[in-house]
Amino acid sequence: MQHLNEEQLVAHYYHDDEAPAVAESHLAACTECRLQYETIRRVLTLVGDAPVPERDEHYAEQVWTRLRWKLGARKRRAKWTSLIAAAAVLAVAFFAGQWWHARNLRNNNIPQIATTSTHGIQNVSATQPQQDRVLLVVVSDHLESSERMLAEVANANPHEQYDVPADRAADLVASNRMYRQSAANRGDQRIATLLSDLEPILTELAHAGKTLSPEEVASIQKRIESKQLLFKVRIVSAQTGSGGDKPVPAHSNSL
Amino acid sequence: MEVTDLAALSRAREGDPDAFRLLVERHSRVIFRVAYRMTGNEHDADDVVQETFLRAYKQLDAFEERANFSTWLHRIAVNCSLDLLRARGRHDKHRADLTSFDGDEERERELPSSDPQPDRLVLSAELQQHVAAAMNKLSGNERTAFILRHFEGMPVEEIGKTLGIQVNAAKHTIFRAVRKLRDALEPLVRPNPCST
Repeated sequence: MQHLNEEQLVAHYYHDDEAPAVAESHLAACTECRLQYETIRRVLTLVGDAPVPERDEHYAEQVWTRLRWKLGARKRRAKWTSLIAAAAVLAVAFFAGQWWHARNLRNNNIPQIATTSTHGIQNVSATQPQQDRVLLVVVSDHLESSERMLAEVANANPHEQYDVPADRAADLVASNRMYRQSAANRGDQRIATLLSDLEPILTELAHAGKTLSPEEVASIQKRIESKQLLFKVRIVSAQTGSGGDKPVPAHSNSL
Repeated sequence: MEVTDLAALSRAREGDPDAFRLLVERHSRVIFRVAYRMTGNEHDADDVVQETFLRAYKQLDAFEERANFSTWLHRIAVNCSLDLLRARGRHDKHRADLTSFDGDEERERELPSSDPQPDRLVLSAELQQHVAAAMNKLSGNERTAFILRHFEGMPVEEIGKTLGIQVNAAKHTIFRAVRKLRDALEPLVRPNPCST
């Protein structure tokens, strides 16, 4: 008679064996295996009897009360909604630019109107600032989302696998490309360079699959750190975020 | 009609805090139980529950809807527990403590083997210490796999997903855990051959 080994006995205990009836009939006939099985059962019963402190019916409420203040408001929008919204804003910016450009050409023969203010003379031909402000608003939102993702990766445990929010990263890659091209077309090297630096990291996260290995996490963290990417994104994000409400000088080429 | 986890999750993703609150209410006590088994400490377990829901909230977008929300949450809780244990170096400390339970000293502490039956005993403080010490002999994966299988009744396939290992590896990890527990605790439960 072939006895059941310890692994088979454990599997039988947890009903994880493929032929439980065979194991059962063997145990009924074999004293030696039955003793082994009984020992395993007693050990596991002993472990299972270890008590867990009870949490009362208000526990969930207490958890929520402590938790709710730590949860930021989610700005999540549906994947395609956010992309369509970004594309629509850019389209509006483009056509507004075309319209202003055509208007300026028509006005070339007309002496430029200048107004006197308490701060001096301002040119009312504000084509560039108008378009910059539109781009600035959408880039600011994008940088804020990117900053959150970089922070998550930068703070991940480098000795463990990391669950990649791949969908969110894919959204950010798509937005990043549009904004980078827009910024480059408008000659804003500062934004374009930052977005260029950001894109490989976002792309890697978007294509990483479900998880990053500890080595991959450490590698990405190193790249984020070496380029001071998180710091730069925070700075530009803060500047663009606050700059949206401020008048932009007509000669400025910066977002 | 009861809102399913997936429906609540979907609403939470759209920024509805009440939907996430529902998930917290539904799962916090179970997660506490897992966290306590993992950490062996009430205060730590409370911290793990908080951290688990915080991480889950931040990673809501990473959850794949074909997966089981409870399994996903368990996985986060297990990772939080392991992070906490590593951070505090408790594992090492416990391992060091265990040396006092090995060898002759432990043999002297053996309890009577048959009367009363161990599975009918109310666990004494000393027995609890033995069990806790035996659990602390397990590696992180062994402890996790064992707790999920033994206490939570999670299928081996789900445990494999939780640990990121194959089903057979998960099964073997559970077996290794049981063998270690048996090695440490068998003297306390050895049946009287005459009674069988």
